[in-house]
Amino acid sequence: MRKSFPVEDLARDERFVRVPIMDRINDPRTARQEQAGTKGKRGPGRLTPDRPDAPDAARALMHGIFTGEIQALEGAGRTCWDFEVGSGNGEGIPEVPFELKLDMARQCWDEARHCEISIKLSDHMGTEIGEFSENTFLYEAACNPDPVLRLTGVNRALEGLAIDVFNTMREFGDVAGDAVLEFCEDWMLADEVTHVKMGSDWLRRLTADDKERQQRALEFQRVVDKLFSLGGFRGDEEDSPVRLARRFRELAGFKDDEMDTLAEVAREARQEMDARIEANRAAVAQ
Amino acid sequence: MPVHVQPEEFSMVFFDAHEIRALTEELAQEIGLPAELSITVDVDETTPLGRSVVQSVDPVVIHLESGALEDAKRPRQLDPVGAADVLGRLLLAVRDRLDPAFGDAPPDDDLPLPHSVAWQVYSVGRLSRLGHRTNRQRRLYQFRNRHGFTDTADAAFDRLWAAEGLTWAELVQISDEARSALPA
Repeated sequence: MRKSFPVEDLARDERFVRVPIMDRINDPRTARQEQAGTKGKRGPGRLTPDRPDAPDAARALMHGIFTGEIQALEGAGRTCWDFEVGSGNGEGIPEVPFELKLDMARQCWDEARHCEISIKLSDHMGTEIGEFSENTFLYEAACNPDPVLRLTGVNRALEGLAIDVFNTMREFGDVAGDAVLEFCEDWMLADEVTHVKMGSDWLRRLTADDKERQQRALEFQRVVDKLFSLGGFRGDEEDSPVRLARRFRELAGFKDDEMDTLAEVAREARQEMDARIEANRAAVAQ
Repeated sequence: MPVHVQPEEFSMVFFDAHEIRALTEELAQEIGLPAELSITVDVDETTPLGRSVVQSVDPVVIHLESGALEDAKRPRQLDPVGAADVLGRLLLAVRDRLDPAFGDAPPDDDLPLPHSVAWQVYSVGRLSRLGHRTNRQRRLYQFRNRHGFTDTADAAFDRLWAAEGLTWAELVQISDEARSALPA
């Protein structure tokens, strides 16, 4: 069986359609509108039930969670297979301790269950499998050849985003009175906290004597975090559709300064997206 | 049936105004709107959001953000099936508003969300009986979000989905009764 499976070869049936992230980035339209009387911009707003489009926005987000769960399963599965068992401390990369593989196997179990839950939730919300397009950049983060960077990118950045998203959806279900949604998201959120904690623990253990590797891993996380902020879709602003779930991130091993840095990264992503949209619009106008 | 689509040429999305016009004409005919009725479909292509409203009935102006007509699998491309769902629903609301027996409903912008969603259910139910592909479970989920996840709300949804010839007052009554079962 091949090591380091390429994203292009992931198995999907005809219901799934992949859209390259550049197609989104090159979209000249913007969901942010000029705020009356100011130069500021407002987005579609935080995902709460009082938004008129809330049910459909929640459906789209739930489908994004579903495809993310598939890719998280694929990524954790690959990490079980792609590396040999060894000390994992940097000598003889790409070796990893057996216990790390065991954690990844447990994560596969969780992600498979999350896929099943997501399908049932999609049925509940009136969403068909493949109704929305799929981005594969989640799996792409799981293709890093260094297991430490891979775990940092996936378990701390991607699963960290999952904490923020699940917390948003859990609150959405609570306020909307949707006990099914609230209950499912709460249980999945608990798993995500565990996954992020795994990433934090392995990062510290495997790089305890290699600060340079630790820095490279954290830099990789920063890059992935910026990408996963989706132009400000996830952030710490009042109008961010998905907000940082600081309390749950703390439980998962994030320190305050790390969360402040993440909030700053999300702000940068939002500003860059605004600038990009302006440039796209100027290009369309010419 | 004169249908005008604004803009006539799109620059930010890959929509074809002729396709939208043809779809609107076909739907208006199916729904039974007067042949001489002039309809303007005004698309705001600067936003990917999906708001859609009947802006006025005299003259008939339907206003949509481009996301309302967009294919969820192909960014910036028109989805004819989804567009028929949105345009059909709005044209049915136009027919209701033009019918004196229906009664006076507030303008779309002033509609309380539960009443607006109840009207959508009533319209999409009729659209599905005209043979168009609709998503009943999606509408049920929207309805539950505004009327509660209760058996009472589900029963109200069933009534609206199957209904023909409702008045505005009856529609509001069904919506309000469903909400009355919400826990205080």
